[in-house]
Amino acid sequence: MGVIATLIDLLMWPPVFYLVIFPGFIFTFVLLIILIWAERKVAGRIQMRYGPLEISPRLAGALQLVADLLRYLTQEIIIPRRADRFPYFIAPIAAFVLGMLPIVAIPFSPHYYPIPMNDSILIAAALTTIPPLLTILAGWASNNKFSVIGGARESYLTAAYEAVILISIASIVLAYSTLDFTKAVMLQEQITWGILLNPIAALAMLVGIMMATSRFPFEIVEAEPEVVMGPYTEYSGIMYGLCMGISYVRMFVYNLIFTLLFLGGWHPAGLISTGSFVVDSILVPGAIVATKAIVLSLVMVFARSVYGRYRIDQALAAGWGFWFVIALLSLVVSIGVKAIIGWRA
Amino acid sequence: MTIPAQAITTRRIAKDVLELHVGPQHPGSGHMRFVIRLDGDIMVEVDPDIGFVHRTMEKLAENREWLKAQPLFERMAILDAANVTIGYFLALEKLLDIEPPPRAKYIRTILCEISRIASHLYGFGILGIFLGHSTAYMWFFGDREVFIELAERLTGQRLTYSFFLPGGVRRDIPTGFKDDFEKAARYIEKRLKEYEAIFMNNPVIRVRVEGVGVLTKDMAVRLGVVGPNARASGVKHDIRVEEPYDAYPELDFEVPVYKEGDALARFLQRVDEIRESLKIIRQALKAMPNGPIIHERYLRMYTKVMKEVLETQGRAKIPAAMINLRPPAGEAYARAEAARGEYFYYLVSNGGTKPYRARVVSPSFRNVLLFKYLMPGYRLADFPAIYGSLDYFPPEADR
Repeated sequence: MGVIATLIDLLMWPPVFYLVIFPGFIFTFVLLIILIWAERKVAGRIQMRYGPLEISPRLAGALQLVADLLRYLTQEIIIPRRADRFPYFIAPIAAFVLGMLPIVAIPFSPHYYPIPMNDSILIAAALTTIPPLLTILAGWASNNKFSVIGGARESYLTAAYEAVILISIASIVLAYSTLDFTKAVMLQEQITWGILLNPIAALAMLVGIMMATSRFPFEIVEAEPEVVMGPYTEYSGIMYGLCMGISYVRMFVYNLIFTLLFLGGWHPAGLISTGSFVVDSILVPGAIVATKAIVLSLVMVFARSVYGRYRIDQALAAGWGFWFVIALLSLVVSIGVKAIIGWRA
Repeated sequence: MTIPAQAITTRRIAKDVLELHVGPQHPGSGHMRFVIRLDGDIMVEVDPDIGFVHRTMEKLAENREWLKAQPLFERMAILDAANVTIGYFLALEKLLDIEPPPRAKYIRTILCEISRIASHLYGFGILGIFLGHSTAYMWFFGDREVFIELAERLTGQRLTYSFFLPGGVRRDIPTGFKDDFEKAARYIEKRLKEYEAIFMNNPVIRVRVEGVGVLTKDMAVRLGVVGPNARASGVKHDIRVEEPYDAYPELDFEVPVYKEGDALARFLQRVDEIRESLKIIRQALKAMPNGPIIHERYLRMYTKVMKEVLETQGRAKIPAAMINLRPPAGEAYARAEAARGEYFYYLVSNGGTKPYRARVVSPSFRNVLLFKYLMPGYRLADFPAIYGSLDYFPPEADR
């Protein structure tokens, strides 16, 4: 009795369990390892090479990222003399943690969520907008010209893609007439998946997610031959490892939101019933949601094998000139959808 | 310590201009530094700062025997070793007043063109990764291996062949080389179509290179640009045609010329050159006459064992007299068309075993000026696109 039991109790307390173990930190971390491994393996396959293989050859190099992180942990963290220390330190850590934070509002099944709330879509969407600010802060605090240019690029792109993502979310919310993920998914179970209800909003949000998480062809903020590593140029050791992880975490979280809004969430889960609450209400729906999000993430990382990168002005022109208009158009589509299905919902 | 005032130079930077030092430790700079001045996102001035990989090659050449300058000069552009050193031997042969036998000429041309293809593929790979296209990077570098291995079949070395001799070559064409080449040629022709699908006609790549870094014909002539960069701007200048050497006068090939002068034209020009090079090698393998691979002046010095090696294995041993080569006093020059443009060699002999003076003008050295004149007015993100399309190689410029 005592400390250990108290700790276990604390971990098993639903909000903590949700945020730390499933689907929070540890679960996301494991998925991240699988995702990055798969990305590198697929890219290697296309590019006439093996991909990671040296560490754990029997698992086809799956533990490469763990080895990399261990190496990062033992590396010296070099702080530039002229850096603004507090924001320099806090920015990547806070960006990583806050990047994961929208999970507090994302339910994995109708009965499995950390905090019951009626406006979960609004909260999740609002929380996804915080990490870019910290990326800009990291660039500014590093006091390096390449970092500043990278931060400036991030700030331009943030404005462009966030408008697209938020309007897409707003338009599908308009069709569902609810700000609750659970109700939105239940509605999709009744009618049909959101991607069929409003394909234009889905497409605009997908492109917005790719821009937000600097996937190719929008990998502009960290464009290597121009600005070295963008806002993260001056980071080393585990801080650099965190910086690398931010965009993956954000992509996974965005894809969870996309899955719940457009891909029917845990939709076919209702067909399975074993009688066990844990299996029926947590494991099966959770696995379905996670699988959908992972497949979507894989499609996004796959783009790096096909595309180069856009110039910042081309990406901004595409963001404001085309996808913003498309997102506005999706509002009209949603109004039309609402007019047709309104009597049912 | 006080520094005398005249040793310090200050430079006034215009207001609202950001000075960015790209390199020498930067993933997009190569072995050199660029001082880029940015007004917002637009480059207003670019200063290429060369000399980071200067190895005093010309001076070193004065301190070693004539033949030993070959492995030295190869290191200017190790990826294009045959074309880089052929000019040296052309000049040396002028000093010695000899000409290689026809078969040796054909073998030289074949190796030069293999080297050119490999070098172009290397340049494409760099352009690919500069534009963020990792698949193109890996594909181009992977397929370059085909031609490196082809050169290895011929010379026994992957990159630094040291294959030429004054008045000949080191090895005869190995048996089955024709089939090997045909296989490689068919493979790369198939791959060029695949490159088109994923790289050249990729919309994202297309918008990055089309109309970017435009070099007009007038400007190309005025700046003395050479090689594919000049030919992509409408200047039909190719040493293989203007001052033909080795087997080129007997072979039928075209010099691809583009008018646009942008990054895309520079890239496509090189793609066409690969096709022409394949044509040249095919013809050369077909039209190659039989005969010795080394000049009879040196053949006469061969011992019985050396002759046996030459006849049974097709390997030309170096006679002792060639190591202590003493060309008559005088001077000679030669020009050769390498993958990046014209190489100029100027050699002075005082009758000794070592060159009195060896002067090299390399194509990258002449093209480096383009950074200064081509970049301003474009965005910072265009810097790698233009750099990659110029196929600039710092060690070649610095020598």
